[in-house]
Amino acid sequence: MLPLDSSIAITLHLDEGRVGRVEIGSNRLVLASDMLNGRKPAQVLALLPTLYSLCGTAQGLAGLEAVENAAGINAHPAQRMARRVLCLVEMAAEHAAAILRDWPSLLGEAPDLAALKPLRPLIMTARKALYPAGDWAMPGGGGLAPDRPTLVDIVHRLGEAGNRADLVADRLLARIENEDLEGFGAVSPSLMPETGPADLNERLAGDHDGSYRARPDCAGAVFETGPLARQSRRPLLAALMGQYSNGLMPRFAARMMEMAAALREVEDLAQDLCDDSGGLPMERTDGTGLGVVDAARGLLVHRVELREGVLREYRILAPTEWNFHPQGPLAHGLMGASGPDLEWRAALLAASLDPCVPYRIEVCGNA
Amino acid sequence: MCMAVPSRITAIDNGVATVEAFGTLRTTSLMMLADEVAVGDYVILGPGGTFAAEKIDPEMAAEALAYLTEVLATGQA
Repeated sequence: MLPLDSSIAITLHLDEGRVGRVEIGSNRLVLASDMLNGRKPAQVLALLPTLYSLCGTAQGLAGLEAVENAAGINAHPAQRMARRVLCLVEMAAEHAAAILRDWPSLLGEAPDLAALKPLRPLIMTARKALYPAGDWAMPGGGGLAPDRPTLVDIVHRLGEAGNRADLVADRLLARIENEDLEGFGAVSPSLMPETGPADLNERLAGDHDGSYRARPDCAGAVFETGPLARQSRRPLLAALMGQYSNGLMPRFAARMMEMAAALREVEDLAQDLCDDSGGLPMERTDGTGLGVVDAARGLLVHRVELREGVLREYRILAPTEWNFHPQGPLAHGLMGASGPDLEWRAALLAASLDPCVPYRIEVCGNA
Repeated sequence: MCMAVPSRITAIDNGVATVEAFGTLRTTSLMMLADEVAVGDYVILGPGGTFAAEKIDPEMAAEALAYLTEVLATGQA
């Protein structure tokens, strides 16, 4: 294991056969973005998708939005629409990948590698289909020249992967139903507001030691972020949540619904995309900016300060820090759990929240 | 953070590559890669490191490794 590899350790401490305490340890590098300080925006924006390759598009777009806000750039609506398409393509691909890669192991099955393989290249193809020069993360906008036939093909191929993912999801949801685990992990939901926490900018601005980025909260509340929070207003999910709150069934169903909704939205937006030369100049060289993006796993936030055209105080808050917070939805959902298959149930709950790094689960004490 | 570390391929044997990053050698399957790769190329590994996920160009790999070296040197990792 490299010193740069991050992971999450989930320890369940039993008390008379039930989980009495949940410990969540993380060695995630929340301060690593400090090392981006002192660089030019264009240099950092080119680097971000490689550095954070699992959700490289969302990371690039969050950085881009933060830089443009700091520099007073109001990107053309065509650019915003194209960026939304890129974000949705990655979201659909990441949801499908999680289902095809991670869910089979919960069923004792092998991952569907044949269906997984095309997903990542499709994200790269989408970038090229919109920005042939590869400058999709350029402040002020890159050279936007949508290739609609390729976009239609991407949607088609993501849909095919989605169909394969549906098969896995059907088996997992049937197993959950058979084991009466639809509501497993349910607690009183504390869902991320649509526009993010009200105090986001202030908290990030004052987070000099990284404690907020490692364990975020909003007036003491730790939100659940991701598909469930975003899809909770849709009638079908609201009905499921009425029955099972934020238990396993609504969480897994929300991911499936969001994958399908993302593809539909890409299909719609693809009709309205148009060319734009981009290249808007920076209006100022000093300022602060926030970039907030709905990444596959939840709300992703970048905050930057621009001083004389150079980045300072680069801060990133990732969704996993909310969902895997020691007082967050996973920890609370596991409290009081019991049973001989506790480790498997905990793995189900962790998978329903889809962390962006590997995790391990340990049960301590007598079951 | 879910940081990706560019890893240089040092050997390939039957679809499995030995890759090196920061002096550590690991093995990873190449079966999920869309691009052809050879010894000396840089790849990013997928979650858990079982599969190589993406080939990246040497310039970007060098830039990312320089940044990650700073992260390591300043004790952020």
